[in-house]
Amino acid sequence: MSWFIRTAALVAATAIVAYGVATTEDRTDPRWLALLLMLALLWGIALWPSLGRQVRTMDRTMVHVVAAFGVGFLLVGAQLVRVQALDRERIQSRIYSTGTEVVADPRRQALEEESQRGRILASDGTVIAETQMGDDGRPRRVYPFGPAAYLAGYYSPALYGATNLELSYDAALSGRSEARRLREWVDGILNRPTPGYDIVLTIDPELQSQADRLLGGRPGGIVVLDAHTGAVLAMASAPTFDPNQLSVGTTASEEELTAARTYWESLQQSNDGRLVLRPTQGRYPPGSTFKTITLAGALESGLATLDKVYRDEGALTVDSRVIIEQNRPDPNRVSYTLEEGYGYSLNVVFAQLGLELGASRLTEAAQRFGFGEPIPFDLPVAPSALSVSPEHLTSPAGLAETSFGQGQLLVTPLQMALVTAAVVNDGQIAVPRLVDRIQTPAGEVVDQRQPETWRRAMSADTAAQIERAMRWSVEQGYASGAQIPGAIVGGKTGTAEVGDRPPHAWFIGFAGREEPQYVVAVVVENAGSGSEVALPIGKALLEAALQR
Amino acid sequence: MAARIRLLELQLLVLPALLGIVGLLTVYLSGTGTTRWTWADIWVSLAFMGLVLGTSVWLSLIGFSGDQVLFPLVAMLSGLGLLLSQRLQPVLRDDPGWATLAQRQLIYLALSFGLLWGTLTFLRGLEWLRRYKYTAAIIGLGLILVTMIFGIEIQGARLWLDLGVVTVQPGELVKVLLVIFLAAYLDDYRDLIATGYRLGPLTLPPLPYLLPMLIMWGMSILVVVLQRDLGNALLLFGIFLAMLYIATGRVAYVLAGLLTFALAVYVALHLFSHVGVRIQVWLNPWSDPLQAGFQPIQADYAFAHGHIFGTGLGFGHPEFIPVVASDYAFAAIGEELGLLGTVAVLGLYLLLVTRGMLIALQARDSFVRLLAAGLTVVLGLQTLIILAGNVRLLPLTGITLPFISAGGSSLLTNFLIVGLLLKASESVGERR
Repeated sequence: MSWFIRTAALVAATAIVAYGVATTEDRTDPRWLALLLMLALLWGIALWPSLGRQVRTMDRTMVHVVAAFGVGFLLVGAQLVRVQALDRERIQSRIYSTGTEVVADPRRQALEEESQRGRILASDGTVIAETQMGDDGRPRRVYPFGPAAYLAGYYSPALYGATNLELSYDAALSGRSEARRLREWVDGILNRPTPGYDIVLTIDPELQSQADRLLGGRPGGIVVLDAHTGAVLAMASAPTFDPNQLSVGTTASEEELTAARTYWESLQQSNDGRLVLRPTQGRYPPGSTFKTITLAGALESGLATLDKVYRDEGALTVDSRVIIEQNRPDPNRVSYTLEEGYGYSLNVVFAQLGLELGASRLTEAAQRFGFGEPIPFDLPVAPSALSVSPEHLTSPAGLAETSFGQGQLLVTPLQMALVTAAVVNDGQIAVPRLVDRIQTPAGEVVDQRQPETWRRAMSADTAAQIERAMRWSVEQGYASGAQIPGAIVGGKTGTAEVGDRPPHAWFIGFAGREEPQYVVAVVVENAGSGSEVALPIGKALLEAALQR
Repeated sequence: MAARIRLLELQLLVLPALLGIVGLLTVYLSGTGTTRWTWADIWVSLAFMGLVLGTSVWLSLIGFSGDQVLFPLVAMLSGLGLLLSQRLQPVLRDDPGWATLAQRQLIYLALSFGLLWGTLTFLRGLEWLRRYKYTAAIIGLGLILVTMIFGIEIQGARLWLDLGVVTVQPGELVKVLLVIFLAAYLDDYRDLIATGYRLGPLTLPPLPYLLPMLIMWGMSILVVVLQRDLGNALLLFGIFLAMLYIATGRVAYVLAGLLTFALAVYVALHLFSHVGVRIQVWLNPWSDPLQAGFQPIQADYAFAHGHIFGTGLGFGHPEFIPVVASDYAFAAIGEELGLLGTVAVLGLYLLLVTRGMLIALQARDSFVRLLAAGLTVVLGLQTLIILAGNVRLLPLTGITLPFISAGGSSLLTNFLIVGLLLKASESVGERR
């Protein structure tokens, strides 16, 4: 046979192998087996010995039989390459489980794999999660730093999988990263276990402890950010769960499994959302803190300036609804500038402002702050919403109450922290970051996260105006309790009405030495007024942040 | 005969010796972290090396002029088999009391070497064997029948005879007897079978001369049905077809044979549920992951775990595969020696086949040529069927991997084949 036909057959065979590997999942996929038949034919053509006519029958046939064996062995080789090199990850991760009986690769459960899972560290190296070898020689995932344990989440391969950072950074923690593909590939080939990478958080453990302590187990959430870099310095949530009690590995004993199941049951039965991370997933009516966004919309559209004067006579009737003003500092005074309206948190002023602004411009302002979108973050987030039903804003009453933070608004503490951050960051929102870097156990940095801008929420000029209003609110308005000697502080309290139960207490604020740098958002559920409950927490945290 | 040094053979034997030493070293390093060996740890390896070296030296001393590559290949493969049993011995713990897995394998190897020596010493040429073709056929049929009637079932296949002290697989010897019969028969009637009768424009197959062949075909189908053993049926039938092709050069016979065999398998598939289960598990072991599919799934895990370079001998977990020492020896190699190891083993077997066929090509006597070719086909086809089963190219069958799988009957038979091939190669040397 000519060299041309042989070459063509070889090329076709190679193409068939590539096509088959790309389109079939398994070595015994009938389509792959059919391709193998074609492959046998093509290889046969390529390898067929050309023997002259004068060669005796038995000599020729013997050579043919050897060639046939060659093709057969090549087919075995093709299957080997698939199972040992191409399909191996698919094969190794395949698991069958009936609930009581499991068929899985026992090698993957070998001890050393779990014992090499990476650590989760706070910014100063405080260990939040790590795998320790027990006295019995079995690895255990432990979370020694209680105030941040729930940020790590649990790692429970035997029962409940993983959550939070243990889930979102599972690849890095178990030794896979984009940056070091080649190295990891070589490790895989040489059968060296790649040790998991450590992830270092932006969390300041002292601030985190303080936030956790200040919340004191009351339901609520706290976020402390660096406004310019988006670095999350503290993120507290309550009530929460203890991941130590849920993290059972594949080598866990029956008692450990039972204990974990019992604890899981108790979490489910307590029904107070212990598995919900309130700072990012808890959605609350924001109360008066929302006035910041209404103000931004008004300033941005040129509708008003901080010095524009509004009338507040203690009540406003919109349609058939009467809005009662309870916040006036002096019952006899009826005219207030917009800046005073913000600082004294006058609902009547902001109802008028919202009605002037209109539903579409208010919606646009909120959307520019990121409402309706999931915030890009390392933990699961819930998007904030301006209203549950879109029609709510079309009625003047609905629009009016939304403008001062009631109505159907549902906002996460992280969203309000980002609103505040935009104010002091010239109108831009940085992407919030919880993970600072990924590094090897020896400390060599594999992936350093850089500050990024998520979106522009408003012009720098509008941001400067709102910053002024927030500072006035602390200097002369109702947020005066937040004053810190020697520091620039701005803030806004909120008291969000929630039916018959006590209101949610809110505070958002910023502080800095020369210029504002740190941002805080605090919500305490059903705890009373913002200035009495949330503001002291926020102030203490800003103070602590300034002393870093 | 004057002594002559078999230098090439001695040089090639360095490789199996290295394999034995390095392999044993890693096995012990992985297990204990130390290389301080006691006599008890290494006497098995030393005894094997002694057997191999002794055989080569003895061949030199008697002035044996046959092939010098075949024996090192066999030493390499059986050395790997012994190494595997040494490696599996501490984790498998299937100790019948009188010897460990490795010790048993060594005893089988010693007996096999004895058989090899006997063959080379006492056989005077191979030509005389043709006179006993019908004797061979009758003994072969008798062995099949005896196994069918008195055999015991192990793992769903009735292949073993319990002789009290040991259980043997007579099926192994049947293959050799079949080759002797076919070689002699085809050599006698080759031309008649190749041409057939001419009846006007038509060429009819020479039915009376094909009859013994058809009986063979029927027997192999019977084996599928009665012994529940697809692999051996495929092997017997494959030997038959390959030899028929080698002798006559008629592709039509091969195609017709393959077609009828496929048809028979198809019928068997619908008549016998166990054949269907095998096919089902082959195509998708996850259809029954707890029972029939468990073994192939574990083998897949082992192969996948090995990747390119393997974990290293002693560092993997081949003990997770059920019946690893016989059915899935290749998967254990795949896990611990990786793709490089499996491809190397594949290459060794291909070399063995090529070498065997070369001996056949160079032999003078046409019966010896057919005999050597047939014996080579036995080795190659066995290897191909079990390896294809291991990597799920074909459904898995209970055939053993020549020279590597644990088991006495197949080892003895395969060494007998090697002895016959070496003997056949000796006649080549005398021609020159």
